[in-house]
Amino acid sequence: MSDSVITVNNLVKEYGSGAAMVKALRGVDLEIARGSFTCIVGPSGHGKSTLMHMLGGLDHPTSGSVTIDGQEIFQLGNKDLARLRAQKIGFVFQFFNLLQSLTATENIETALMLAGVPEEQQKKRAKELLQIVGLEEKANAKPRQLSGGQQQRVAIARALANDPPILLMDEPTGNLDSEAEAEVMSVLEALNRQGKTIIFVTHSNEIAARAEHLILVRDGQVDFTPSLKIAS
Amino acid sequence: MTPSKLVFKNLVRRRGRFIFTLLGIMIGMGSFVTFMALGGSLKSQIERESAALGANLVVTPKGSCAYEQVSILTGEQLPTTITGDEVASISSIEGMTAIPYLAERSAIDNRPVSVMGVLPEETIKFKNWKLDQGGYFPADDSEGAVLGSILAEQFGLLPGAEIRIRGSQIKVLGVLEETGGKDDLTVFLSLPQAQRLYDQEGLVSYVAVRVDRLDEVELYANKIKEKVSLGVVSDKQMRSSVLSIVGTVNITLQLIAAVAILAAAFGIVNTMMTATYERKREIGILQAMGATRTGVFRLFLLESGVYGLIGGIGGAALGGVAAVFATPYISQNAATSFVKGAQVSIDPLMLLGAILFSTLVAMIAGLYPAIKASKLSPVEAISYE
Repeated sequence: MSDSVITVNNLVKEYGSGAAMVKALRGVDLEIARGSFTCIVGPSGHGKSTLMHMLGGLDHPTSGSVTIDGQEIFQLGNKDLARLRAQKIGFVFQFFNLLQSLTATENIETALMLAGVPEEQQKKRAKELLQIVGLEEKANAKPRQLSGGQQQRVAIARALANDPPILLMDEPTGNLDSEAEAEVMSVLEALNRQGKTIIFVTHSNEIAARAEHLILVRDGQVDFTPSLKIAS
Repeated sequence: MTPSKLVFKNLVRRRGRFIFTLLGIMIGMGSFVTFMALGGSLKSQIERESAALGANLVVTPKGSCAYEQVSILTGEQLPTTITGDEVASISSIEGMTAIPYLAERSAIDNRPVSVMGVLPEETIKFKNWKLDQGGYFPADDSEGAVLGSILAEQFGLLPGAEIRIRGSQIKVLGVLEETGGKDDLTVFLSLPQAQRLYDQEGLVSYVAVRVDRLDEVELYANKIKEKVSLGVVSDKQMRSSVLSIVGTVNITLQLIAAVAILAAAFGIVNTMMTATYERKREIGILQAMGATRTGVFRLFLLESGVYGLIGGIGGAALGGVAAVFATPYISQNAATSFVKGAQVSIDPLMLLGAILFSTLVAMIAGLYPAIKASKLSPVEAISYE
């Protein structure tokens, strides 16, 4: 399908071996449409985060493939995979997204540095990104001077540093109050309207209800039931 | 943001740990530089004195050891067991000049000084001395003293002044021009007067010999040995045996410094390992942002290298200062320790080498932590709670 940005084929991930073997993913197939807003939901420990790490090439599967923009990512070497992450994917995690010793601006600049943006262009771009998430006045604040919601917005700004087409979010609002969650969600929805593909792991029913597509991960397998309401 | 700025921010985030680790490498490198500088100063001083002696052969009491050879070069007191008859029979050999010396000690204003009994006329020719002020000994058995330039300046002595040696008032006849060696720090008397004052009638400490034909040094050494039952060493032998003692001392000191550097290197390993654990999650985030394993490796290696670089610069400065203060007390003998003119030779190339060495050691120390950091899997790093 030409409009799918990510294609997953029979993805299997096993940890350990023998009797102690854990099957985190048991043959997952799915496609993510370009420009979509997809939520991955499911009970804890059933493979949501594992799937998400595989989608971003942070972890290697036992078997199966993930294709991003026509490129099978696990056939890439470590270096090319790192480049793909820098160019195509922005990550936001639940906790500790930011480098604690750096200011908001410096955190974003570091991502720009890793993508090869020259130093003199970094400052301007970092400022623009902070404007997108509405935090330009916090440019020189260290993470511990920011609220949880503000930290996550800086993390989103950083994930956007290289203008990646895909944003992977691992419960970015998991430890935020509802007000902060609303802040973050409105930023993400705006980005989605601008064409970013957003994949969002969550426990929250309200967020899942706002998603265009819903993927339920249970027992390491995917269950496509778009109308599903989660009983967690 | 650049990798070096990122490294710098990481370095200073734990200020105490940064400073203590840095102190470790600074002390190690500082002691290394001090010992290197001291060794270099000792060596160049010995070479200078050996040149100032101006002799190809030195006749010493039989069985004299390296310690006495050091004393000849530094102007320490020596046993006086060579007799006038022996000096006469050495002097009788054709084709060479023999100059006897009586090396003694005295004190001026309660400070020790070297006193040297010499044959005035022969010695001034042999040593090529020039007079700076006053006159010289009018005859070979004249009474009076001629002073080295630095000694005269140090004690404010001018021709006409009097100094007291072994209870006798002795008039200063003149002051020599600076020679750059220990002669600048010596009181010269005529040999007969020195022998009388120190009750060493007819005796001398050593005899310096210059041969007319350099290629026949060995031959003359044998001739002297045939005539008298005394020790004969060439200036080269003397220099090399003295230098080998100095060399042994230097190597020992440098080994001690090497142990200090090794300990400091493990300090860096420890600091960097701690940093790796502390920043486990950050390493994962960097990788998620697109940092390669090589990139993470480089960041950590650079960080430990900076410890070596700053520590090396600090250590070189510390060591240089320590060497300047310590040299007068270590590289010169008791008689000259308070006198100006103590020269410390710090080679800028040696300092540069020390800084590079320190950086290299630090980077080697940082290898293991950097490999550890780069091997972290992003998922493991992120999932770490």
